[in-house]
Amino acid sequence: MNNLDTTYLLAITGVVFAVNYGLRGFVFAAFGGGKRPPAVILYVGSVISPAVISMLIVYCLRGTKFLAAPYGVPELTASAVCVILHLWKRNPLLSIIVSTVVYMVLVQNLAG
Amino acid sequence: MSCSLRISRKVVLASFRASIPVLLGYLAMGFAGGVLLAKETGLGAFWAFLTSSTAVSGTLQFLIVDMFCNQTALWTVAIITLSVNIRYALYGLPLVDRWRGIPIWMKLYLILTLTDETFALVVENKVPEGEDSLTYCFLISMFNHLYWITGVVSGNVAGHLVQFNAKGIDFAMTALFIVILLDQLKSRGNRFPALIGFVSALVGLLLYPSNMLIPSIMIGLVVLLAFRSKLEPLVASGGQADE
Repeated sequence: MNNLDTTYLLAITGVVFAVNYGLRGFVFAAFGGGKRPPAVILYVGSVISPAVISMLIVYCLRGTKFLAAPYGVPELTASAVCVILHLWKRNPLLSIIVSTVVYMVLVQNLAG
Repeated sequence: MSCSLRISRKVVLASFRASIPVLLGYLAMGFAGGVLLAKETGLGAFWAFLTSSTAVSGTLQFLIVDMFCNQTALWTVAIITLSVNIRYALYGLPLVDRWRGIPIWMKLYLILTLTDETFALVVENKVPEGEDSLTYCFLISMFNHLYWITGVVSGNVAGHLVQFNAKGIDFAMTALFIVILLDQLKSRGNRFPALIGFVSALVGLLLYPSNMLIPSIMIGLVVLLAFRSKLEPLVASGGQADE
């Protein structure tokens, strides 16, 4: 990747910064006077995280080729390794590193 | 509450000690994000520093690599960031009264650096007796922020120095989300929302293969709101556990 436009990268970084900062400061700006946020906001805030994380998993795996070599084998194997290892050890870093190495080995060695 | 930092040996040691678990986690996770940035985009330490110090978010540190590579539209970047980190909008609730009236520069920095881990330590607030609670929280926030930046920058530098075939390293992001989701699923209240998200994502992928996230989020939001009366009691009884 060598045709990245610096201005655009700065713009992306700026948007991420602004939205994150806005979220973190939201309560302080909007409810500094001791008011509580509306119940519907509290509800969305509490359920959207697992929903979006699920979506991001699908998003990450969207390019998987199930109908052509290597038939999704690297993705399915590495995901399974990640799930099993994490349910067993509950060590985030271990699960991430091992499953990523498994994926890299598979994707670099299977014909595709 | 005092209006400036009251640094003492004792409070520095106590805040550092409290931050040690975060030190290990942030250095390692940040390192992975830094390597990913180096290998996928070729960008150097300046970008590692800039993105890690301003976004201060693990998930976004990984996602921003994808956004850089795809030149994602800015409004899409905004909606994704908003949806991924909307929980941050609730983190102020237990702190808004505690931080009322403190110097503005301090408040701005405390807000900037309010991650999941920092939030947990700041709310726990195990300040030693006789020491200033605000100083303790400020130091924890600063230590954690520095660990994160150090992790990402050193990972980026290592990614440039060490030559290896990095094909497939982007799976680290997938693995990160799998791990976060598995931890969230420990709370029963999170299970149905996760399923809704999964199905919405498949529908979004079918409808708009090239730009699936925004429609998926919209569909998911509508469905989540439709099930509010069913889900709200579940969430209230222990759905708040965080990754």
